Amino acid sequence: MTATTVIAAEPEPRLARIRSVNRRILAAAWGMSSFKVGFFVFIALLLASAIYPEVSSVSATKMVVKDKFLAPVYLGDKWTWDHVLGTDQLGRDILMRSLIGLRYSLLVGIVTVLLIFIIGCGLGLFAGFKGKWWDTIIMRITDAQLSIPMIILAITILGVSRPTVPTIIIVLALSGWPLYARVARSAAVAERGKEYVRGLRVLGAGDWRILLLFAAPNILPPIAFVAVLDVARMMIFEAILGFLGLGIQPPTPSFGSIIADSRKYLLNAWWIGTIPGIFLAVALTSINLMGSALEKARNRIYGGL
Amino acid sequence: MLILEFLVKRIAQGLLIVFITSLIIFTLLRVVPGDPVRLIVGGMAPPDVVEKVATKMGLRDPIIVQYGRYMRGLLQGDLGQSYLRPRSGMIAAGGQYVDPTKSDMALVTDLILERLPFTLQLGGMALLFALLISFPVGIAGGLHQHRWRNALAFGMQSLFVSIPNFWLAIVLILFLSIKLKLLPALGYQGFSYVILPALVLAVEIAPFIIRTLTTSLGEVMQAPFIDEARVRGLSRRRIVYSHALRNAAVPLVNLLGIQLSTLIGGVLVIEYIFDYPGLGNLTVVSVVGRDFPVIQGIAITTSAVFVFINIIVDLVAYLIDPRVEI
Repeated sequence: MTATTVIAAEPEPRLARIRSVNRRILAAAWGMSSFKVGFFVFIALLLASAIYPEVSSVSATKMVVKDKFLAPVYLGDKWTWDHVLGTDQLGRDILMRSLIGLRYSLLVGIVTVLLIFIIGCGLGLFAGFKGKWWDTIIMRITDAQLSIPMIILAITILGVSRPTVPTIIIVLALSGWPLYARVARSAAVAERGKEYVRGLRVLGAGDWRILLLFAAPNILPPIAFVAVLDVARMMIFEAILGFLGLGIQPPTPSFGSIIADSRKYLLNAWWIGTIPGIFLAVALTSINLMGSALEKARNRIYGGL
Repeated sequence: MLILEFLVKRIAQGLLIVFITSLIIFTLLRVVPGDPVRLIVGGMAPPDVVEKVATKMGLRDPIIVQYGRYMRGLLQGDLGQSYLRPRSGMIAAGGQYVDPTKSDMALVTDLILERLPFTLQLGGMALLFALLISFPVGIAGGLHQHRWRNALAFGMQSLFVSIPNFWLAIVLILFLSIKLKLLPALGYQGFSYVILPALVLAVEIAPFIIRTLTTSLGEVMQAPFIDEARVRGLSRRRIVYSHALRNAAVPLVNLLGIQLSTLIGGVLVIEYIFDYPGLGNLTVVSVVGRDFPVIQGIAITTSAVFVFINIIVDLVAYLIDPRVEI
């Protein structure tokens, strides 16, 4: 890999010492080609899903029955330039539906991970720092929550209440925070015993002051880098919910429901399910490439790997 | 003695966890809108009939009373009776009125025990496939940190983790089962029906194993004792397989404990797609039908399985590396 040689060749000890650990992790990740590929693909998809539906006159939900089952350009016997990626069983444009689906998918994924991060890390830091009873109570609740598989919890709640974007986000966040609480707690416990924390105690700083101003900036960034991977995981969960009929409800397109509907037409119109699937897989791959590059960079900076 | 003490402590904690889990699910089911009685008596039934049946079933009592009643049954090993499934196996459709207070409804315990072996079989096969896929890739990637083999492990992991399981399932059914007729896919009539769903699940689990294995093996290979082993004249094969891998296995075993809930969640969706007669399929059907006793039973079962496997995981980690605190 060329990327690693670049990093190894650039040590310049003085500069490295001045830059903070987080900046170094970001720089190391940026040095990897996989991160750059993921980043540019992600930005392209983000822009496409943000801009194209706004400027295009094509509707994602309007049905044109005479245009149904049009194949993607050059890939079937019936196609037009009006629908570059073809149309579905009701004559709706697949490109537009995929982009709108991507929009919701990204929205759900990113907001959920933000929520999880705040709830999980908040509780974890608190438990780890306070110790004693708080620790026991919070961690046992975490264990209980962790032992209910996310999907069971999600379908239990969404199956009986009407799924909307906010409820989906809340449900996913509710079932996703325990892992973060665990990680943040163990980091906080390790941090609590450190020299500088004891020093601050001696200087008379209160728990909250130490926690928020000094410990959190040390503990959270490494967790945040890996949280990028969870955006992809949440997007998959959103799609799974849609697939089970518990996600964003039609006619608003979402990857899960599009793919679920397309099963019936798989043999004679493969593109209806395949193209949204590819969109989703490409978006997920780009996020995962960035996430794993960040994780690798983090491990390299922290663990010397 | 240490192990005995550990077991007693963890089992006590485990019981507490299962208790909290059951309380969470129990309350959630009753707080969230969606009345099972409406589905049982059918959409056309007048409201007073709904109320009458609900009262008779005890669904209008305060939640804490209902929970107490449920717990009393649970302590005697009775998880209650399904609202929707008669003993004969047919699902009662809405409108077709079956009196749920009568004793001809299936016992939840029976429903779960009947399906648990299928799910365990699927989960076991999936884990086996995942290990078969990820060990060669992960070990090669971990040993050669800056070579193409590491890049391969990295790429494979990024790709596998990005494939939505339900999409892969559909594509594999289309190609392997319908087009090429290699493997059967839907339902269950024998062992060969496990292979395809297990493969899909394996693809979902493998990236986590590959990632942990490459990282931890890479770290272990840099440890001083590996260099010493080389000086002692041990062969490379011996160093990797009996020294490095043993140490790298601890994070891996821990990972399995944590990723278990992902595995269970995956099983659920995959079973639903493949119409596999396991617990996951039962869950989806029960949730859609608001079959409270079955959902509660499944939640308690999965959390018990989760707790049990996590105890085993910690025990195994301790046996591999006695320095691990338990």
